[in-house]
Amino acid sequence: MIEREVTIRNRAGLHTRPASMLVKTASRFESAVYLCRDNYEINGKSVIGVMTLAAEQGAVLTLVVEGEDETEAADAIEALFEDGFGEEL
Amino acid sequence: MDRPRTFQKESITVAFMVRQLRETVGVEVTPANDAVDAAERSVTESTLHRPGLALTGYVDLFTHQRVQILGNTETRYLRQLDAADRRAAFGHLTQFSVPCIVLTDGNEVDASLVDMATEAGIPVYRTPLPTVQFMSSLRNFLADQFALQRAVHGSLVDVYGIGLLLIGPPGIGKSEVALDLVERGHRLVADDVVIATQRDESILMGAGTDLVQHFMEVRGLGLVDIRSMFGIRSIRFQKRIEIVVHMELWDEEKEYTRINMVKDTHEILGVDLPMVRVPITPGKNITVICEVIATNYLLRHYGHDPAEVFTERLRNRIQQEGPPAPRRGIEYFERDYE
Repeated sequence: MIEREVTIRNRAGLHTRPASMLVKTASRFESAVYLCRDNYEINGKSVIGVMTLAAEQGAVLTLVVEGEDETEAADAIEALFEDGFGEEL
Repeated sequence: MDRPRTFQKESITVAFMVRQLRETVGVEVTPANDAVDAAERSVTESTLHRPGLALTGYVDLFTHQRVQILGNTETRYLRQLDAADRRAAFGHLTQFSVPCIVLTDGNEVDASLVDMATEAGIPVYRTPLPTVQFMSSLRNFLADQFALQRAVHGSLVDVYGIGLLLIGPPGIGKSEVALDLVERGHRLVADDVVIATQRDESILMGAGTDLVQHFMEVRGLGLVDIRSMFGIRSIRFQKRIEIVVHMELWDEEKEYTRINMVKDTHEILGVDLPMVRVPITPGKNITVICEVIATNYLLRHYGHDPAEVFTERLRNRIQQEGPPAPRRGIEYFERDYE
């Protein structure tokens, strides 16, 4: 199991488009993906779930990945956050 | 790390508590000292305290962090003291950072005591409700506020009054089954994210999130709003979770139950819920199966266990001496011929 802290960098926060990008990426992997904010933990493969985090710029989330391809999955998802989902930082 | 993660409120403000008591619980509570800002004080525990001994001066184990209730006993005790002693007794409470004081059963205390509370920044409230009744309402309210919660990935639907929680791997079709159930007249509580709240030892309540409510994501369609689309009859806001329906791909290695519907359990927040594993195979109508699961649960709940009834019938037949071959259930001319 991998656990990492990720920060929302893009100005608009984790709105619909980044949420679906995140879910699309998470769904490519076999591993289970969870995101937590203050212990509110949701499934990273559910768009509605990710959107309920209502994460704004600067919010810190915990990314938990568990499964055979966890390293690749965690790296790919972390890269999305790092890149601000390709949006304005 | 503990998985799955759970969360609970650490504190609520006294102002919020009183507003909720008035508006949602329907308890009459009036402030006795408006000058105190009740938003500054917070409650962190669901237990209440009647500070009888603290008033007499014994404060060693005084649970001052709890809401303090002054009922008939406490107010009468204060009343029979002379003015100076009364202030001293009340001072034993106000020296601590008490969240708030509630005078129950229409009781009142001297204005000078209320002033002491005001100075200490402690909000004082009055309620006409009898002490026991008020404490029970407040305790229930606080227990719910501080209850352990967690987000569960699944769909919760009220099927014939039974709360069915559909869980399973992503993409197995939980939302589609929920949608189909709604189409057949059942009521959606939440899809995708269900907030489970523990209520008492064995009761689990499920609700949606305030943001999503009754929106649903259907793969290939996007977001749909069930409430607008199907109307008020198709939704509800919360429901006790009673059965877990675990949808999974048919696994040849696994043995599925053939006689007893419910044998497995699924644990959420320490509550063991009956769980039915439903293997998904082509041509299987999961919606109808969900309805049968709910009605079967209802039957068992009302004392009719089909597996038991059938087993009993078979046992009797085996003990009877009779023709070994199965017989017709009815003779042709017995009833309903044609």
